[in-house]
Amino acid sequence: MSYIPHTQQDIEKMLQDIGLSSIDELFLQIPSSLKIKDLNIPSALPEKNLKEKIRKLAKKNNPLYNFNSFLGAGIYSHYIPSALKYLSNQPQFLTAYTPYQAEISQGILQALYEYQSYICILTGLEVSNASLYDGASALAEAVLMSLRINKKNKVLLSRSIHPQYREVVKTYLAPHDFIIKEIPFTEKGFLDLKILEEELEDASCFALQSPNFFGLVEDLGKIRRIVKEREVILILVTNLLSLAILKEPSQEGVDIVCGDTQVLGGFPSWGGSTCGFLAAKKEFLRQIPGRLVGETCDKEGKRAFCLTLQTREQHIRREKATSNICTNHSLEAIRTAIYLALLGREGFEKVALYSLNLAHYLYECLGKIKKVDFPFSSRFFNEFVWKIDNAKRVLEKLYEKKIIGGLLLEKYYPELKDCVLSFTPETKTKEEIDEFISILSSIV
Amino acid sequence: MKVFPLIFERKKETPTEYIKKPDIAIKNPEEFFPSHFLRTQLNLPSLSEPTVVRHFTNLAMRNFSVDTHFYPLGSCTMKYNPKLNEELAFQDEFIFLHPYQKEEDFQGILEIIYDLEKLLCEITGMERFSFGVSAGAHAELVGMLIVNAYFKKRGEKRKKVIIPDSSHGTNPASASMCGFEVEVVKSRDDGLINIEELKKIVDQNTAAIMLTNPNTLGLFEEEILKIKEIIKKNGALIYYDGANFNALLGITKPSLMGCDIIHLNLHKTFSAPHGSGGPGLGAVGVRKDLVSFLPVPLVDKKNDHYYLNYNLENSIGRVRSFYTNIVPLIKAYSYILRLGKEGLKRIAQISVLNANYIREKLKDIFLVSSPKRCMHEVVFSCKEKKEKGVTAQDIAKRLIDYGIHPPTMYFPLIVKEALMIEPTETESKDTLDYFIEVMKKINQEIKESPSILKDAPLLSFTKRVNETQAARNPILRWEKCGV
Amino acid sequence: MDKLFFTKTHEWVKIEDGTALVGITDYAQKELGDVVFVELPKKGEKFRQFSRFGTIESTKAASEIYLPLSGEIIEVNEALNKNPELINQSPYEGGWIVKIRIEDKKEVENLLDETSYEKFLKESS
Repeated sequence: MSYIPHTQQDIEKMLQDIGLSSIDELFLQIPSSLKIKDLNIPSALPEKNLKEKIRKLAKKNNPLYNFNSFLGAGIYSHYIPSALKYLSNQPQFLTAYTPYQAEISQGILQALYEYQSYICILTGLEVSNASLYDGASALAEAVLMSLRINKKNKVLLSRSIHPQYREVVKTYLAPHDFIIKEIPFTEKGFLDLKILEEELEDASCFALQSPNFFGLVEDLGKIRRIVKEREVILILVTNLLSLAILKEPSQEGVDIVCGDTQVLGGFPSWGGSTCGFLAAKKEFLRQIPGRLVGETCDKEGKRAFCLTLQTREQHIRREKATSNICTNHSLEAIRTAIYLALLGREGFEKVALYSLNLAHYLYECLGKIKKVDFPFSSRFFNEFVWKIDNAKRVLEKLYEKKIIGGLLLEKYYPELKDCVLSFTPETKTKEEIDEFISILSSIV
Repeated sequence: MKVFPLIFERKKETPTEYIKKPDIAIKNPEEFFPSHFLRTQLNLPSLSEPTVVRHFTNLAMRNFSVDTHFYPLGSCTMKYNPKLNEELAFQDEFIFLHPYQKEEDFQGILEIIYDLEKLLCEITGMERFSFGVSAGAHAELVGMLIVNAYFKKRGEKRKKVIIPDSSHGTNPASASMCGFEVEVVKSRDDGLINIEELKKIVDQNTAAIMLTNPNTLGLFEEEILKIKEIIKKNGALIYYDGANFNALLGITKPSLMGCDIIHLNLHKTFSAPHGSGGPGLGAVGVRKDLVSFLPVPLVDKKNDHYYLNYNLENSIGRVRSFYTNIVPLIKAYSYILRLGKEGLKRIAQISVLNANYIREKLKDIFLVSSPKRCMHEVVFSCKEKKEKGVTAQDIAKRLIDYGIHPPTMYFPLIVKEALMIEPTETESKDTLDYFIEVMKKINQEIKESPSILKDAPLLSFTKRVNETQAARNPILRWEKCGV
Repeated sequence: MDKLFFTKTHEWVKIEDGTALVGITDYAQKELGDVVFVELPKKGEKFRQFSRFGTIESTKAASEIYLPLSGEIIEVNEALNKNPELINQSPYEGGWIVKIRIEDKKEVENLLDETSYEKFLKESS
């Protein structure tokens, strides 16, 4: 079975018109030594059987909503309005491709233009592209962009950037002769400014995350003063939700902002697909990777949108392109725009404000438990690190009670033994936090 | 004149509320951060759900898509996206999984990944697959990183990657992103790789060749075994760009062609929708001795337990924040099971039949790019229409007036005024006959009144868009955003 | 037309004393289509004959431009920043790209004169 509409008569007529007598004759140019007889895979499953099979497999998963979860660390479970999936999955968004033909893709183009505009409003930067794959590859692209711009060869990465993001940057840079230096964090969890200053010489760029992986909000003003006197490109990985409250990175001299838009309306989806965003100063326009949607007009003078500055891209520039990216994560970008549109300014501010407050409430409650310590500062957004003896065992016990307490950090930062990273979305209730605290208290 | 307002141009409304205020004291940001950390203005629109729904529903209506129009975009395989897959992939048990949960909490998705890998290994003959790449180009980057790591491990310095002049732009871009020098091998007049030219440029500095088969002219590289011999003799690797694999499903396997590293596009061959430009999903397959170079993790099984295996000795690392895009992956899995072994082979047979049918019916009025029979896509050159002042772009724009999404234009680069048509197997004979009739009509228009084409599209709401202005004076965001 | 010399990559050069004006030919501008951006070198930069000294972008292509004679850039046509379309409208006059101080007049021997360039165009089409 297949989704093929042809009748036997259709096929015979078509073969006849081509002057062939069988379909096999269409494949004569393939050497017979290369031809296979049959694929050793199962025969077609009817829809009903297939549904049952995959439903069964789905049931072998235990998703977040079965738990009282405090897991964040790069994938966030904020509330997603029902209208979002309904709108983003419309057939004319879902089954279209890249809007190369502007006249018949104005919907996609306008949605992406709105997305670009949202990113610019939040970050304060002048240009945003129309999506990259995810936060990690966006950071890698930002680093490559800096290296192309100033042609230096040293890259500084803050160690408090998400560990998997740093891994990806290293993978992307591995075949080249660039030097990567990691800047550590102090015991308060903030960037070590002294070491940063020492390493800035000859650096092409410095990338940091704020709020960082531990949820802490860095003092960008201080960092900017140190970095900018050296003409080093400043790259910030950020949580777009925090920008409902925090100052636009552009005002702190940030040259390139990047990260993941999953926090704005993306389902956790086991980490994919999400959406990488990248915004930069206007002067770096021609070095930006990915698609750009521009405003123009049509022959009759009506406003219209189209892909523009395509000469940066692989289909024109080939080996000299700013990136090899072709298919990106457009639909996720459109989802981000829809999320922000549905929430509106007030809704967006509330999500950030409630999430922030709930995290600090959790922090206060945890602080009342004698055995709990806090290794870092309390200047955090909606995630923070807490410490307890035998944290692994504690988390196991919590799990038995259907509570996922957070992410154990030792695997990623060996010196942070017994430390846990916890997150609260705006949907976390007082009852859920109180339940967590009471069960934790009984465990210790 | 602005006919469709931007979301930012709509009048302020009361936004619909989605969240309840928590039962704790809510403090303002000033209580948590110094004031100079804080934002002073946030210029976002506030609209109600009815308005937002109308806005984005209207936007959706202004696009051509596979579900609404014949979309023969060459090289993209715009086939029908089965709705069953949408239902199955978007189940809550999949989309509400967090990657940092315990392994025992996502055994279901691991089993799907494991099973899909086994299916793709059988379909392609490769030893193992990684789904840790977001798209075809991303897979190509990983392929190049593997080539780089492979020769580094052997202590061999090879800096060159050979790419046919007909290749997709992502090939040289990926090779270049990986620090390789690109050397182009010319195609013959009939569109196949020039073996004599290839022999001249392959040397000890060659790390790999990147091949698409069928190539971007839709032709099967008949001398693939000779190419294999030349490359292998030199100790280099063959990278197979699987973008055109639709033509070969169940017919042959890249492993038999001697390919060392391959990629598949799950959003092309395996029916996951294109989503206005993504997300899709790539899959990187390798032969046995390259498995240890794949990105981490792989999905393995011990007894009845599935787990993420990070133990790959020579792994190039990761190229994504988290492992994979599960929604397109589940759709590809569902698709393969739904079609089964007979259905997959049928795809190749009918997609090739459809393209040849178009080739046959149009070869007398448009120049075919090669005398050779095509496979799943056919490339025509419109260069002789230039005598009437008509370009491939004009023809493409006129197709819009007939309700057809234009084919790929100006690619591959080796064909002047190219139109690349890939109908796919899910287009009926009736649709193809309509397309053929339209192309014939357009050809008449070129002879009798070419100015219609210069002005096309005439019937769409948005007329020919001024791309020159967009590039000369880039406006890339809503201007009043205060930025 | 004043005595112009041409490269096989479709640049022209007009020599005046020890300096020369450089641009791209009418054929080249037609092939490119509407020029949207020109990446110009800086004054004082030096280039060898036939080395890349800039890029011209249209909506559908980006073409490297190569200097017909070795020399130092003494002037660039700043008007192209605001009006890149000058290259389409007037490729031999208003659309000039750079003025150079010539290093070695003898390098002209490596260029094509008008007749040879036209012959070259006919042969390659």
